[in-house]
Amino acid sequence: MNPAQSTQGTVKERAGVALNNDFLRNAVKFTTERLRSGKQAASAEHGNWEEWRERGRQIRLHTIAHLDYYLNLFVDNARKNGVHVHFAPDTAAATDIVMTIARNKQAESVVKSKSMVSEELHINRALELAGIETIESDLGEYIIQLAGEGPSHIVIPAIHKNRYQIAELLSEDAGEELPPDTTILAGYVRRKLREKFLGADIGMTGCNFAIAETGSMVLFENEGNARMVTTLPKTQITLMGMERIIPSWEDLEVMATLLPRSATGQRLTMYMSGITGPKRTADGDGPEEMHIIIVDNGRSEQLGDPEFQELLNCIRCGACLNVCPVYRHIGGHSYGGTYSGPIGAVLTPALNRNVAEWDDIANASSLCGACSEACPVKIPLHDMLVYLRRRKVERGHGNRWEALGMKGFAVLMANSKRLNLALKMGRIAQKPVVHNKGITLKIGPLKGWNTYRVTSPMADHSFRENWQELSEDTRRTAPPMNAETRDRMEQILRQRRASGIQGGHHE
Amino acid sequence: MKVSLFITCLSDAIYPRVGEAMVRLLAAHGVQLDFPPVQTCCGQPSYNSGYWEETRTAAKTILKAFESSDFVVSPSGSCTYMVHHYPELFKDDPYWLKLAHELEAKTYEFTQFLVQVLGITDVGAHFPYKVTYHPSCHGSRLLGVKEEPIALLSQVRGLELVPLPFAEDCCGFGGTFAVKMSDISGAMVEEKVDHIKETEAQVLVGLDMACLMNIAGNLRHRGEQVRVMHLAELLYEGVGVS
Amino acid sequence: MSNSQSTPDWLNKLEEQSRISQQAFIDNISTRLRRPRMTEAPDHPYRGTPALWSEFEWDAQQRIDKFTTHFQEVGGHVVRLQTMEQAAGFIADHAVQMNARYLIRQQQPELAELRLEERLPDVQISSWNSDPDEAWKARAAEADIGVVMADGAAAYTGTVMVTSTPHQGRSVSLLPTVCIVILPVDRLYTRLGELLIPMDEIGREHLPAGMHFISGPSRSSDIENDLTIGVHGPGIIYTLLVG
Repeated sequence: MNPAQSTQGTVKERAGVALNNDFLRNAVKFTTERLRSGKQAASAEHGNWEEWRERGRQIRLHTIAHLDYYLNLFVDNARKNGVHVHFAPDTAAATDIVMTIARNKQAESVVKSKSMVSEELHINRALELAGIETIESDLGEYIIQLAGEGPSHIVIPAIHKNRYQIAELLSEDAGEELPPDTTILAGYVRRKLREKFLGADIGMTGCNFAIAETGSMVLFENEGNARMVTTLPKTQITLMGMERIIPSWEDLEVMATLLPRSATGQRLTMYMSGITGPKRTADGDGPEEMHIIIVDNGRSEQLGDPEFQELLNCIRCGACLNVCPVYRHIGGHSYGGTYSGPIGAVLTPALNRNVAEWDDIANASSLCGACSEACPVKIPLHDMLVYLRRRKVERGHGNRWEALGMKGFAVLMANSKRLNLALKMGRIAQKPVVHNKGITLKIGPLKGWNTYRVTSPMADHSFRENWQELSEDTRRTAPPMNAETRDRMEQILRQRRASGIQGGHHE
Repeated sequence: MKVSLFITCLSDAIYPRVGEAMVRLLAAHGVQLDFPPVQTCCGQPSYNSGYWEETRTAAKTILKAFESSDFVVSPSGSCTYMVHHYPELFKDDPYWLKLAHELEAKTYEFTQFLVQVLGITDVGAHFPYKVTYHPSCHGSRLLGVKEEPIALLSQVRGLELVPLPFAEDCCGFGGTFAVKMSDISGAMVEEKVDHIKETEAQVLVGLDMACLMNIAGNLRHRGEQVRVMHLAELLYEGVGVS
Repeated sequence: MSNSQSTPDWLNKLEEQSRISQQAFIDNISTRLRRPRMTEAPDHPYRGTPALWSEFEWDAQQRIDKFTTHFQEVGGHVVRLQTMEQAAGFIADHAVQMNARYLIRQQQPELAELRLEERLPDVQISSWNSDPDEAWKARAAEADIGVVMADGAAAYTGTVMVTSTPHQGRSVSLLPTVCIVILPVDRLYTRLGELLIPMDEIGREHLPAGMHFISGPSRSSDIENDLTIGVHGPGIIYTLLVG
């Protein structure tokens, strides 16, 4: 993908384009609705979901809090398994290691299985520049590679394309007309890529989990392409985010329960592979040489940050995308980074250490909290979006007019008399624009709002202006509180005080 | 026993009838509400936009206003939940932190107060209409108010409660989001109204005037006749009828 | 690598760099976590699943029923058989039905005892890695049928486990058009954890290079979320539950 292409403009501008693309919106809506209802059914079928989420969260919290120990343990064990382990603090270092291996292997072709880290590093571009054929083998990734795009969903990369667009791309690739029939299209890709798997010099994978105690890596997939990539080429390169660690296989049972059910509503993906080192000398298949590149690229910056460390708990299931109403309407490319949806809105600025440049990405959320509720490891994504907004303001990157507005807000809210006066002025000011108890004026801040709505005007008398009369009226007519209600309320007060909370009228 | 009304900006300035319904409904159960007139806004607009210093100013006004209350009740799940952020805002300031913890413990959303505190699910209302319910995100998801409104609605005589498809989806309000990202917000409210229309309900009921204002605005924009009400209004009107 | 003499210079150089970067990389993590480097195993109070889960167990018949339901629900086939003889018969019939020309099986005594060569004289049958000069991946790729023994299975997820050894190729369950897995019922457990926890107990040095947990046919929903079977791996998979 050409990253410059997708990061041009603002989230708002890109969203504007997406919102006018009915096909894209319908495609994304259709698939995310299926995925989220699948997840709901799968988590309900499993039962005790909250308890499992909490367990998943605890395992991830524990691992990240002791990441120095567990990562080091993983590295030692992977080395003992015969793996060449490398460390890449950033994109340049990771690319350099990949290119060194490819050069020394005199590689002409690389087949890849799905790896979000490789998207983050734009590794395909580096390989292609060196004249090395690089083929994405996940069906969705293959499609977007042909289209020259990046993934618009963490799990379903071509979620934004329909079968006609895909048939067109694949027909061009095949040099013959292929009908828009999913079975025929997938069959073409199967035949075409089968040759590529068998002929490739290097297989490149991502890593869902790395098991510290045995130095193993685990891949979840449905197509079998990751198995191909780790079975057929002589050399395997695995790109792994430094936070992918879990301590043990025992912990994997929790992740294997949470990840597929949250991602696609499956009990388990069709394939889950645990790979422990290169092939044993006498084995008939598997890579002869295996490299694992451990990538930081901004991740370690989250460590020790009380507001963002939990970002590293993410298991890349995509559940937050599938429930996000904003994602549903604007699609993944509008986010402008490798990762989209709520997790992308937080992860992109966090990994890039440039809160200011990604200024409006954190604003593309109504803070509805659906993401946090869906997250299988309970990452408080909607809170993190607020923290990002706050950091932007604190570092002086806030919008000047908004900052002035907020200062004014604080002045009004410090004193109810000022607020009352402002409301009265507002009531006078709205008079000329209220028609038939509604405001339809489309200027200033009301422009966007009133494009979709008729605004309710302020009431003739505010509640507080009515209060005196209302209060006197109810005091005159209402019955006294009955004893039972009083007892209930006093019981609650006693409980509250017993839990150490003071204050209130009764003290 | 001092039970204070936290009216919230929207119900004060635009929808005073919601506050009135609450006051009269609770009075009928012997709860005389107190109204500290010094209260202003909970600070949510500035908090969500990242202006926490400004938020502290608003929060202090609220903390002072309700310092002597035993219970605080509000017609908005969102503003009620905002109070739960106060301890975080004052974590380095023991004086305000103490008040923040107190307010957090004693503040209830309207249906929470009716069901949890007063133990009432049947207010004796009669409301012979087809009604659908939109659970606002902050109230249901963050504050955890899920069963209370359903318990109250299911006791209303004559009321037919029809499920809202994808009810848990955000209506697209999100405070300043609706202004800053107006087209995305617009797409969200249009989708919400599509789902409301599918139910063929005569009335949409909710617990948060911000969301209801957003939805009502789009319904009116599209010329739809669905009546939009806060649950307090519905119950109060229903009691008056029966 | 254990044999440093055969390791080329460039790899040795990378290795050297790696050891140097490792120190800085891990130290950076400790620094960020604002504490000295942790070198002792921390207490891990949340290891594994919630407590009661490990007591959850189905009886033998439930395991068979649940495995069957779960494997079939995602498009796999399950055949319940009493003896290995019947399994041999099923494989032979199936090979004839689909006009199979090539069949590949793992080089395991249980599979040799099926005497498929005698039952299928017209099919070219090969036994994985039985001849060091053969191109085994190509043999597997051309095969119509691959036959493997399951090392274990979990009914809860409808999953069979196969592992790699010199006599058990990864390719045999991956490259042929049809995969037939023979699962003796005594290897069928309830939970996935019953297959995973032994990996911790066996320990790193005894783990096979490849462990594959297979829960059905290869599939994709990448085109319009329309389910397509057999994208890269076998589109047809049978589990023969024997015993």
